[in-house]
Amino acid sequence: MPPSRPLQLALLAGLSLFTAATLTPVVWALLTSIKLPVDAFAVPPKLVFSPTFAFHYQVWVEKEFWRFLLNSIVISVSTVCLSVSIGTMAAFGLTRLRSRASRGVLFGLLAMRMFPHILLAIPFFVLANRLGLRNTYTGMVLALTAINQPFTIWLMRSFFHDVPEELYDAAVIDGCSPWQVFMRVALPIVRPGLWVTALFGLLLAYNEFLFALVLTGPDTKTLPVAIAEYGAEDINYWSLSAAAAIGIMLPIVAFMTVMQRHLVRGLSFGAVKG
Amino acid sequence: MRKGIGWSVERRASVSRTERWWLFLTPSAVVLGLVMLYPLSYAVYLSLFDDDLGTGSHAFIGWANYASLLTDQRFWTSLLQTALIAVSAVGLEFCLGLMVAYGLYLLSFGARTLNLLLFLPHIITPVVAGLFLRWIFMGQWGLLSSVLIGLGIFPPDWLGTPGWARVTVVLADSWQFTPFIILVLYAGLNTVDQSQIEAGRIDGAGGWALLFRIMVPAIKPLILFVLAIRLMDAFRMFDIIYVLTAGGPGTATETLTMYDYALAFHLLQIGKASALGVLILAILALLTGIMIAVVYRRERGAF
Repeated sequence: MPPSRPLQLALLAGLSLFTAATLTPVVWALLTSIKLPVDAFAVPPKLVFSPTFAFHYQVWVEKEFWRFLLNSIVISVSTVCLSVSIGTMAAFGLTRLRSRASRGVLFGLLAMRMFPHILLAIPFFVLANRLGLRNTYTGMVLALTAINQPFTIWLMRSFFHDVPEELYDAAVIDGCSPWQVFMRVALPIVRPGLWVTALFGLLLAYNEFLFALVLTGPDTKTLPVAIAEYGAEDINYWSLSAAAAIGIMLPIVAFMTVMQRHLVRGLSFGAVKG
Repeated sequence: MRKGIGWSVERRASVSRTERWWLFLTPSAVVLGLVMLYPLSYAVYLSLFDDDLGTGSHAFIGWANYASLLTDQRFWTSLLQTALIAVSAVGLEFCLGLMVAYGLYLLSFGARTLNLLLFLPHIITPVVAGLFLRWIFMGQWGLLSSVLIGLGIFPPDWLGTPGWARVTVVLADSWQFTPFIILVLYAGLNTVDQSQIEAGRIDGAGGWALLFRIMVPAIKPLILFVLAIRLMDAFRMFDIIYVLTAGGPGTATETLTMYDYALAFHLLQIGKASALGVLILAILALLTGIMIAVVYRRERGAF
């Protein structure tokens, strides 16, 4: 049944080549960040050189990129805590509603997911200025929570949907209040789904750029904004920004590696069932 | 949708169902109402004003912002550019994605590892992805140019000429989103009923025929769903372009979102920018409507 051996090897070679080509930009940036500019600017590119981590140290410590990392962490973790708690409740509520009502809400959420972010960024900017929420964590967390709601609810709903309804019915008959059904019956079952949803929410919040660009300021600037704004005033600009870019990528890579089992299952699950 | 254990259970459940379960939706509804729907309606309100942060004016002008946009050459150019970039990018992503997903499907070992490695570009911060690709396509010492020079070929200015800049943007978007398509289609292909595939094989279908005659039709709802989602997202593309070309050279890669950003945050014409935002929403709604109509006509219940 599986294709023949030579075909397998050809496939493996082709796919490995594709993977290598795909990862080239990442490797190139990594090399740039650990090369001295003399080597980095060499034409043709130098492959043998002595690596240095001086630029990583400079950009994260001396240029204080760690501050932006801290901002990013505070904002994305708060967003996920808020977004996943209220989103999970909503998703659970939806599975208990009449199917017509819940379908209406789900379509509404899908429509919200389609909103052009720029259309929201403009009033966010005006309102945040007026309410004094610009350059605060609160403003940013609220904006990101709202943006992540449709996605969170859809994904959590797909997990709740797989729980047999009889289980809830039985709990209701046994005298559980809706809140008890939620906390004692539903939540423990969908716990893996919670992790997957939280992971994706974290990723979205950590990567978000447009709202951060508009809503954050000197005290709350997140990493994507910081690196996009990082200007060419330094002599070693290229090496430094490559070091910053690699650093920004590292937490994502680490997190994904740890969560890969849940990730692959979670994404395919969410997308196929979506 | 699902049958209860018995009549009495179903009935009792449906009684409690109409009442208190709504409460679970309230926290989310409050946040969405205050942080999404209210700002949205505020933007619609602003779009009717000559609201300019530069001059400080705030005068009601009715539909004038919309009228001026519809006669604005830059609006139409950016609309066309957006459509061109989004369609090319999603087309490329889908073709590549389907090929690679099928390759991974056929591969009997190593598919998981490759899949994970391939997934990396998709999870990288878009701004960082834009920078990574910028360093590949940079005119002076970008990797691509230096490799070409090494081979004795004089490279074009990838980011500095309108045509190549558009190609670069399409490639950049594909770099980030092909992995997503691969992952979803790979998962989809694995759900195809084995007996169907066996039947096809017995009927003498080869690799390609199996893929296009049996597997693709089997996961068609999934494909349509993914394409729709991707097209919508590509239509709003912002981060990568902002870093990669900033809409340039000139306005060669200026999408609707980039134009709107420039209107609001460089020219500070909040009123006109809001109007453009509303227009973008209208265009997206129209597109979505068309897609849902098509999907629903072809595949009942794809969503």
